Amino acid sequence: MPEQASASEEGATDKRLHLVPDEVVEVGRMEAVRRYDILDTPPDGAFDRVAALAARLFDVPVATVTIVDEDRIWFKAAHGLDGVSEIGRDPGLCGSAVLRDDALVIPDTLLDDVACANPLVTGPLGVRFYAAAPITTTDGHKLGTVNVLDTKARSITSEQTATLTDLAAIVLDEMELRLSALRTVRQEQRAAEAERAAREQAERDKAAIASFASTLQRTLLPPALPTVPGLELACHYHTASVHDVGGDFYDVFPLPAGKWGLFLGDVCGKGAEAATITSLARYTLRASAQHTDDPVAVLEALNSALLADVWAGSRFCTAFFAILTPDAAGGFTVELATGGHPPAYHLSPAPPEAGPATHTRVKAVSPKGGMLIGAFPGACFASTTLHLAEGQALLLYTDGLTEARVSTDAMLGDEGLTGFLTARPASCGAAQLVQDTVGLLDALPEGASDDVALLALSVPAPDQAAAATGAEFTAHTTAAPVGEEH
Amino acid sequence: MTEDIELTLTATPGPAAVATVTGEVDLHTAPGLRTRALELIDQGHHHLILDLSGVGFCDSAGLSALIGIWHGAQEAGGSLALAAIPDRLMRMLTLTGVDSLLPHYASTADALSAHQGAPDAA
Repeated sequence: MPEQASASEEGATDKRLHLVPDEVVEVGRMEAVRRYDILDTPPDGAFDRVAALAARLFDVPVATVTIVDEDRIWFKAAHGLDGVSEIGRDPGLCGSAVLRDDALVIPDTLLDDVACANPLVTGPLGVRFYAAAPITTTDGHKLGTVNVLDTKARSITSEQTATLTDLAAIVLDEMELRLSALRTVRQEQRAAEAERAAREQAERDKAAIASFASTLQRTLLPPALPTVPGLELACHYHTASVHDVGGDFYDVFPLPAGKWGLFLGDVCGKGAEAATITSLARYTLRASAQHTDDPVAVLEALNSALLADVWAGSRFCTAFFAILTPDAAGGFTVELATGGHPPAYHLSPAPPEAGPATHTRVKAVSPKGGMLIGAFPGACFASTTLHLAEGQALLLYTDGLTEARVSTDAMLGDEGLTGFLTARPASCGAAQLVQDTVGLLDALPEGASDDVALLALSVPAPDQAAAATGAEFTAHTTAAPVGEEH
Repeated sequence: MTEDIELTLTATPGPAAVATVTGEVDLHTAPGLRTRALELIDQGHHHLILDLSGVGFCDSAGLSALIGIWHGAQEAGGSLALAAIPDRLMRMLTLTGVDSLLPHYASTADALSAHQGAPDAA
């Protein structure tokens, strides 16, 4: 025999208690509703199936899953109620059911004091039977209700009421799953966002560091070689890494009495420490050359300066320093001092008897006894004097050139470089010499693994000199901007 | 490829000490070599002979370490001698003129006898 549900047995006074929501309870309830973030979401198969299932189980034309907002009742699923997405929060039916802890069953709405005035009862739908179970969260907040409605009055069993409560629990489970998925997605979004931000920051940092190293390198290199009348000059600087400030340096600058100073060197080590030595070396060489005609004395001054520095004895360099004096008859007298630097090469056209494969006579310029600069107090430096005649060239370089790998276990070496220079046509000027040497490096399987500085000078034949005077010479400068190589 | 370098004390006749260097001396290992050799000098082995026969590779960082050890020995009133120097390192020492300051010998035996014959060895 059908039983009347508890609600119908409640007195009128008890029912009134459920007409107006308690303010504190309502605030907590709304927080919970917002937490599940379900209001105004598109239809969802799981909730639609619960509504359809309820309609079939109770054999009613209308079954709904509703979420109760502050001022409206929103339909998450509505079976048999096409075109209705929300209704007002009028008391009597859903509006009252959501305020209760247990199911609300109204067998005949016309006999219920409150429900009889509800628009769903008085309106075109004409609801006569209503039963609802609240969707209650684990912490006790009621989000909405699962409802079954009929246009005929009827009664249901307590088992059916329990079924309705179970359906509401299924809806809650579904919402928990949905919330958990939402949280996962949000966490992933936040993680992806954080990762993207970190990556962007790292890229910005990397760019800033590279830009700093690049700027520093530019300040350590001469922006362009000067124009030296009667001399063709060319240089090249290859940096193995944009992150490591290299320790190679070179410069050509005017001296009193029409002479020119020239140097090329290599600080042992890399990075900021090497850069400070590079800087110190550059300015010491430039300054001390103003006070002496002896290139050995210039290197001695650098030795003293490096030993007086805070890194005394632990930071040093190798370098060539040369003084160029133009000769009245053409060409230059080059007085060249070395401090532990690899040999320079003096190139001149080979005589015909040298054979068809020998185009250039290559003479190593390596004054004996020149020591590392900045490593030992009282270090000795050695010098030699050569005449750079018309059609001849001089190549200075840092050991990144000779230490470039020609295969996995062999370096270019002095022999390889000499062989390359010997086979080159001798008539070319400094610019061509540098360009060809860079070509040699580029053709190697791994290129240069260390920094490479090249400085070449040549004395053009008189007809070439006439064709290429003044600023034309510096146009041959091939100092490569950082990062352009490779 | 190894990043380790070993410095093993093999003989300590008087104030002299023979230490064998094994491994590759590069930017990463050179500071360790320098530190350990300077420790030996601090421990009283003022006349240090480094046996370099076990050094596979040595670049300018290694050269830098050797110079640092030389400075340490000088400050302690001692000396640094090298024995069994690999070819490439020898070329570097010659090129940089360091060979004129650092006594170098074909073997540790030669280095020891040269050291014991030296007037400051007593």
